[in-house]
Amino acid sequence: MQDKTFFKEMAIEGAKDFKAGRIDRRSFLTICVLAGVASYAVSIGDAEAAANEVVLWNWGGDAVMCHTDSMGAPFSADTGLGFRIDTSGPLQGKIKEMVDSGNVTADVADADAFDGIALGRSGHLEPIDYSIVDKAKVLDGFAWEYGVSIIFYGYAFMYDTEAFKDNPPTTWADFFDTAKYPGKRSLYKWANGAIEAALMADGVAKDDVYPCDVDRALEKIKSIKADTFFWGSGSEAQQMIVNGEVSMGMVWLNRGKNVEADTGGRYKLVMNQAIAMPGAYLVPKGNPAGRENAMKFIASCQTPERQIALFQCHGMTPSNPEAFAMIPDELKQYAVTSEENLPRVLLNDPVWWADNGGDALNRFLEAIG
Amino acid sequence: MTLIGNRQANVYWLLVAPLLVLVLVFYAWPVLGILWLSFTDPEPGLGNYAQLFDGGSLTRILWKTFRICLVTTVISVAIGYLIAYAMTHLGRRERSWMLALVLVSFWVSVLVRAFAWLTLLSRNGLVNGALMGAGLTDEPLALVRNELGVLIGMVHYMIPYAVLPILANMQGIDQRVVSASRGLGAGALYTFARIYLPLSLPGIFAGGLLVFIISLGFYVTPVLLGGGRVLMVAEYVSVQVLVTVQWGTASMLATMLLIGVFALMLTLSRFMRIGELFGARA
Repeated sequence: MQDKTFFKEMAIEGAKDFKAGRIDRRSFLTICVLAGVASYAVSIGDAEAAANEVVLWNWGGDAVMCHTDSMGAPFSADTGLGFRIDTSGPLQGKIKEMVDSGNVTADVADADAFDGIALGRSGHLEPIDYSIVDKAKVLDGFAWEYGVSIIFYGYAFMYDTEAFKDNPPTTWADFFDTAKYPGKRSLYKWANGAIEAALMADGVAKDDVYPCDVDRALEKIKSIKADTFFWGSGSEAQQMIVNGEVSMGMVWLNRGKNVEADTGGRYKLVMNQAIAMPGAYLVPKGNPAGRENAMKFIASCQTPERQIALFQCHGMTPSNPEAFAMIPDELKQYAVTSEENLPRVLLNDPVWWADNGGDALNRFLEAIG
Repeated sequence: MTLIGNRQANVYWLLVAPLLVLVLVFYAWPVLGILWLSFTDPEPGLGNYAQLFDGGSLTRILWKTFRICLVTTVISVAIGYLIAYAMTHLGRRERSWMLALVLVSFWVSVLVRAFAWLTLLSRNGLVNGALMGAGLTDEPLALVRNELGVLIGMVHYMIPYAVLPILANMQGIDQRVVSASRGLGAGALYTFARIYLPLSLPGIFAGGLLVFIISLGFYVTPVLLGGGRVLMVAEYVSVQVLVTVQWGTASMLATMLLIGVFALMLTLSRFMRIGELFGARA
């Protein structure tokens, strides 16, 4: 036991030296190896994080560069705390597993709001400290006990302008009408957004979408099932569109923005009836850098300039109303909270998804299988 | 073997022991944990297993997995048999070349292969382009992002697993019995059906078993080539663990899969020595 403590301390000291540039990476790794079989856990978990560092847990890809430049670097400059990103994707099951195992290696998870509500209930998260994080800097209704929205992402569909030149589709009803708009379709395969889109297509008014009538949504989805592919990742969704596998396809908003730019507008994003999803920053219970540091990081991410920088880099809409006004004109069309878009987008209800998401997803998977 | 006395045998056991302990600690213990979870999450009892009998989606997913694996196994073994047969009856040089080709495909990652099939078979892919260019079809065939695509991907991945055991078996068949059959006046087909095929049955079973068991756990291929509509057990388990957080259901399905594999091996062990299938020699 004492050995273990000794090695752990040695690894922590090593990590501090490594960070301060007193030793090189190889020496640090050597210390970790000397520290025993658990060197991986020690180096990733205790040592590095304890060396005054905040670990943001997200999904990788462009998010690494964008979050580091817009949020991480200025935070480190302000506080002197380090910043690192874990890209393994904070799915609800992974957060639960991490907390249950007692080996918490992330401080802030860039997850979904409904995950925050569900995991907060089951006792896997630290509550948000609103004496540090500012509730006034969040769009009304998107700051919860166990999570706070920093950005909105979302779903919309794109269409091929060459396939539908004269009569472009403008609503989800058009998307689901394969007689009037022939061709293949694509939807997200984990139900999210697809259920809301189907309901709006079936004539449910935007304000009446929640609570969702899942049966009705699934009937609508089944009606185009034979012509629909279901994607699981953003790159897959993008591939289906730009490879011409579908004539209309659901995409994540930030991907859609990139596709429009990359194809010179051949594929067009339809913002009408887009579904805006509140992303939420959550703090796993027992996070290594301590609750206060995690809260400080979250508060720093509320800074309007940083949210705008992230939006420009990664296409995620700011949640801070102060930042709305600062969105450059040419990007306003892609921001779910712009004056033009706010009346016509649907804001996701994370409480409904926290209560019903698992069940809805399983029924959705059965319906499309 | 008889030359090795008890004492030496004990020494060998000692040499193997660390490995056994490793397997116990890092395999058996977590598996027990999963078994435990399947009876205790979300509440103690048999609730997770009862889901299998309510005629719901789980039964359909298991059935679909079973069906896809069975079709994959039959096709892979049939093709694998032809390849192994050709290899057995070719010269040494040609056989080495064929073996090298089989092994190269064996070593290519499952992810790379799935993406290659997507490129080849999609609506605007090479195959559809060639078919339409040659005037054979008017519109692109749906070759991928459906069950057909999953089967193509799985069979392609599985063929080497079928070839290797069948080849090993065929190389052990004494060619003189075939010559004897021909010499006694039997025709080529009769000799194959009555002499060669029965002698190669152990290889067919070995290859079939191996292919079927590996197919049961397929994840990447159905996810990428199935267009989201071909949900097999492995992906369903991962969704229950990661997204819906219904760990009881997930661990129950994992347990069922494990029991299914053991049951298969047990059934086969009544007909043949399983150890020999995978290279052990008594």
